[in-house]
Amino acid sequence: MESNTHRIIQAENLNKTYQTADTETIAIADISLSINDGEFISIMGKSGSGKSTLLHILGFLDRPSTGTYIFGGVDTTSLTEEELAFIRNDKIGFIFQAFHLLPKQTVLENVMLPLVYSRIPSREHRARAEEALERVEMTHRLYHMPPQLSGGEKQRVAIARALINRPDVIFADEPTGNLDTRTGEKVMHTISELNKQGHTVILVTHESTTASFANRIVIVQDGRILSDQPNERRHVHYQK
Amino acid sequence: MRFLATTKIAFASLRSNLLRSFLTILGIIIGVLSIVLIVALGQGAQDLILSEFEGVGATAVILRPGKQPTGPADFSDTLFSESIKDRDIEALRKKENVPNAVSIDPSVIVPGAVSYGDELYRPTTFGWTATAIEELLDIQPESGEFFTADDIRERAKVAVIGSKVKEELFGDDDPIGQSITIRNHNVKVIGTFPSKGQLAFFNIDEVVLLPYTTAQRDILAIDYYQEIFIRADSEENINFVVQDVEATMREQHNITDPEKDDFFVNTQKDAVESISTVTDVLTIFLVAIASIALVVGGIGIMNIMLVSVTERTKEIGLRKAVGATNRDILTQFLIEAVMLTVGGGLIGTTGAIALAALAALVIRQQFALDWPLSVPFGAIALGIGVASAVGLAFGLYPARQASRKHPIEALRYE
Repeated sequence: MESNTHRIIQAENLNKTYQTADTETIAIADISLSINDGEFISIMGKSGSGKSTLLHILGFLDRPSTGTYIFGGVDTTSLTEEELAFIRNDKIGFIFQAFHLLPKQTVLENVMLPLVYSRIPSREHRARAEEALERVEMTHRLYHMPPQLSGGEKQRVAIARALINRPDVIFADEPTGNLDTRTGEKVMHTISELNKQGHTVILVTHESTTASFANRIVIVQDGRILSDQPNERRHVHYQK
Repeated sequence: MRFLATTKIAFASLRSNLLRSFLTILGIIIGVLSIVLIVALGQGAQDLILSEFEGVGATAVILRPGKQPTGPADFSDTLFSESIKDRDIEALRKKENVPNAVSIDPSVIVPGAVSYGDELYRPTTFGWTATAIEELLDIQPESGEFFTADDIRERAKVAVIGSKVKEELFGDDDPIGQSITIRNHNVKVIGTFPSKGQLAFFNIDEVVLLPYTTAQRDILAIDYYQEIFIRADSEENINFVVQDVEATMREQHNITDPEKDDFFVNTQKDAVESISTVTDVLTIFLVAIASIALVVGGIGIMNIMLVSVTERTKEIGLRKAVGATNRDILTQFLIEAVMLTVGGGLIGTTGAIALAALAALVIRQQFALDWPLSVPFGAIALGIGVASAVGLAFGLYPARQASRKHPIEALRYE
């Protein structure tokens, strides 16, 4: 099927419920979503809307309670923990709000971290890390420790780490949440650039400026999709 | 490949917390050090004792009156038994009775002090033969001479004395030809022993040796013996000698039921075996006590590993997010625990060997004993093996805790 070759993600009727003592909390309810290769999609919503849960499920950090999730043409619903770990390692990259760099390892080591769990031979690790750091313009900080970096620099290192396995999809969970407006905008330009180079980007945010870099905006409320529309007023102006 | 990388991660994490890592393994160091040291010293003591016994000869058979003592409170039957007399010695000396015996040397112990002029000393005095000392212990007089077979037959009042006895009674004077008094009998000193210190049964330096006939008939005025040393012609024939001695003694004493023997026979082998048993039991006992330190050390490891797992919850979450499997995380923390304990095991073993060497040096110098430095490879293997086992056992629970963390919850942990 011709159309399916471009479809990287196809989620159907995803549900996620949390069972506590005697109440059942519904995080997401009956969400269906298709994302094509090369798209840049922002998932927006208030805190508690279920947008993060949706991102975690799409990024294989969590599993749906029910529903079907087809990734790259493969039904992932019944994959084992180990197979999911392989997808996280090989097919996707993750960018977090809190950067999550290991404080006692150098920038270079932090970027190479995913490769430790990959089948890529160790002699290629360094070259790959340098290449990824070049794409985020951080090659001048190879041996710095994360605490020595500014917030924007930390996030760029984290982006390099997400890039090192040349992922099909980059997931970003509030990537500008811990940054000031200017730095946040710069980071969004970097992410936008990666999308132009061919990476599919799925981003979760509650800030409309951050969301405006995407070419499609999905709004989630109470665990359901409220709207799913192309972004006509895509952010175009450059800071520099 | 992946294992090597995981090992590197574990090593880096331990190195970044060097002081804590060291304090954590202190218990393991002490435990392994104690165990290896105890086994090394126990082995050394056993080797020393056994080499002394080897010196006395593997062909020795000892016949004693009474019953084989079964415990410390049970010596009375042996000490006060008077069942072995001259006619038994004569029967044993008949070639047809004990064909494989080379020599039969009876002995008696003479309790009490020995004096020379105003000097008084309490040596170990006994009557024996000179050939027994020469052949069993391979000792020749340092000065003077041994008494002869004629002296034994004639109950000559002569003695050979040890170096300590000589020093106490005569000081720097020459004792040869002087008379010493034992239980109101005057005995002439005809020779001195070289200083050899403690031998298997006694300290040769503190000995006064008399012909057994003199000691028995004249000084003690008794007609029985306390010990009969019999030498077999070879180690292989030692059991025949034992059987022949037992058969002869039973015939002499009209005993049909071996349960009613009024004598018993020991060999050097028995002595060696019973000493080995004693030192082995003692070693096992001490090792068991030292193992408590290992268990305590293991609990310390578990405690610190649990703290470490909690502290590094975010790291675990991140590693899982970038593709680490549960097994990768489990391996990482297990390797950390095992590296800690094996490191402790290595340090402990090295320390134990150093201390054992030091102990050997001190014992040799202070006690003039030929203490061997034995580094039992079994003990080293045991120390390191036990350390790894402790690491695995006490590291498993924290490592499982780490590996089971949910990536999202771990990443959100504050």
